[in-house]
Formats: sequence, C-alpha cells, structure tokens
Amino acid sequence: MAEITSSIAAAEASNDNEAPVANISLQNIIDGTNERSIPKTKFIDDIDMFSGSFDPPASPELLIGAYSDLHSKFKQIEQQLTEKKAHREKSIPEIEKSIKLVRHLMQKKEEGDSAITRYNLADIVYAKAEVDCSQGIVNLWLGADVMLEYTYEEALELLTTKESKAKQDLEDVTEDLSFTRNQIITCEVNISRVYNWDVRRKRASASGSN
Amino acid sequence: MPEANGMILSKEEENDNEVRREDQDAINEFGRLNARLDEVKRQVDNLKKTLEKIDDASTELMMGDGDAVMLSLGGAMFEATEDEATEYCEAEVERQQKILDKLSEEEAGIVERQETLKKLLYGRFGKSINLEA
Repeated sequence: MAEITSSIAAAEASNDNEAPVANISLQNIIDGTNERSIPKTKFIDDIDMFSGSFDPPASPELLIGAYSDLHSKFKQIEQQLTEKKAHREKSIPEIEKSIKLVRHLMQKKEEGDSAITRYNLADIVYAKAEVDCSQGIVNLWLGADVMLEYTYEEALELLTTKESKAKQDLEDVTEDLSFTRNQIITCEVNISRVYNWDVRRKRASASGSN
Repeated sequence: MPEANGMILSKEEENDNEVRREDQDAINEFGRLNARLDEVKRQVDNLKKTLEKIDDASTELMMGDGDAVMLSLGGAMFEATEDEATEYCEAEVERQQKILDKLSEEEAGIVERQETLKKLLYGRFGKSINLEA
C-alpha cells in the first residue's frame, strides 16, 4: 500500500506546482492513515471554522476541489483493492480443491487401496492411471515451474497453512476495502456539505444586503 | 449510497440539520452495509447453484446401477463406488449448507440494521438524504 500513499504525495506535489494559490495540502484534509497506509478523510465538524483555519480562508471551490481530488484517489485505491480481492477470492477455492484431493489420497492409503484416476493429459484428453497410495507421496505445484515431493501429512499441512494465509489476506483486503468505501462516502458528504454551506452563506449575505 | 450532488430541493424541503460525526458514521455504515449486502447476495446465489448441482449428482447416483462412478476432485477424476460418491455428496451438501445458512443469517442482519439506520437518518435529514439503492 506504500505505493498508493507515495503516488498521492506525488500527485499532491504536482498540484502544488500548477496552482500555488490553491495551497490546500493533502495533509489538511486527511486525518492519519489506517494500518496499511490508506489515508483517512478528515471529517469537517464545523465548515465555517474549517474554512477559516486556512489563511486566507479557503473558498468553497477550493475545498470542493481538494475533496474531489481526494475522492478520485480513493476511487483508484478502491479499484485496486477490488481487483486484489477478486484475485484472492479465486485462489482460495483452488487451494481447497488441492486439500480435498490430498484428503482423498490419505483416505485411500488408510484403506490400503490404490486410487484409480483419469487425469488431464492434454487439453481435452484424459488418461487412466493407478496411483499407488501406499507410498504416501504427492507432488505439489509451488508455482514458478517448481514441483516438490511431499508426504501426505506435509502436503496437507502446507496447504492448510496456505489456505489460512489466503483467508487472512482476504479478510485484510476486505477490511481495507470497506475502510476505503467509508472514506469515499465521507468525501462525498463533505463535498455536498461544503456546497450547501456555500449556498446558505450566499443566501444569507444576499438577504443581509437587501 | 448518498450521492454528492444528487438533486436540488425546494426551500421548504431543505433541512438545515448539520451533519455530526455520529451522522457521518451512520452514513458510512449504511454505505458499507450496502456493499456487503451485494456481496452476500452474490455468494448466496453461487452457493445455491452449487447445492443444486450436488443435488443433481445425488439424484443421478440414486438412479445409477451400482457401477463405479468418476468423482471430480481437484482437476482429476477419481474412480469411486456409488456409496463413496454418495457419502462425498452428502458431506459436501452439509458443508455448503452451513455456509449458506450463515450467509443468509448475515443478510437478514444487514437488512435489519439498514432499516434502523434509515429511520435514524431520514429522521434527522428528511429529504436531504437519499438512501434508496
């Protein structure tokens, strides 16, 4: 997640160069980050005071602009996280499949049986094979063109660890995603509040001058 | 989800209640629940489809004539007796049904919580807020 924060910082820096007058720094509208460095939108308690806390006081356009920028950054983060999540969701059933298979082999071994299988030889060609389960050995595909030999127990342990790690990852990314959604909604609400605040202020000054 | 610049209200419909921190939190929770609800619904649909498939398989097994069948496990087919296959199907149904029950429960919980939040937020902001999907 570090790259997200740094990309925001970079975007912020370039914004500063383009518009030196509009110097609302990102730091002014965020309120720290969560444990994986996703910034947290600052909630505006009192818009009058918030605008006045800048020197000169921030115009509604400036505030809305700043929050819109932040909003689109969060949208980006949201998309990245959604992709990450979809990837994790896909990997868990794969691991579960492998676990099922190893369990099946273990069961066959206990029964002193051999497993008769049709395995995928090529795209749509299946070949028949008899697996001697008494050896208790299975090969696991570890990725990066590596396949290692494991005993059933070791394989099961490795796969279970992988499964719980994947589930933990999924939980983390889900948490990040709902955190990000919170920030997006806070941005949206802030923008509309600043807008309404401006309308009311203009109305008040119009009726004041009448 | 509350839309930023959704629509313009007439002056009478305007609501001057300020958004407090707790209101923001309630709005956030509502939005989050919306997203989760979609997700849960999707998963429930998928699970129901899987359960149907297993059910079909069980029916096929019952009508079979006792020959060995092929069980698809992790990308390969394994020969299994009908009894083994039936047992496998039953275990799968039980496992998936449990997940389905849990998700359905969560779905009901979300809907209920959203109702409470809706009452709260509409009570405070009236037409200034739109919580319909």
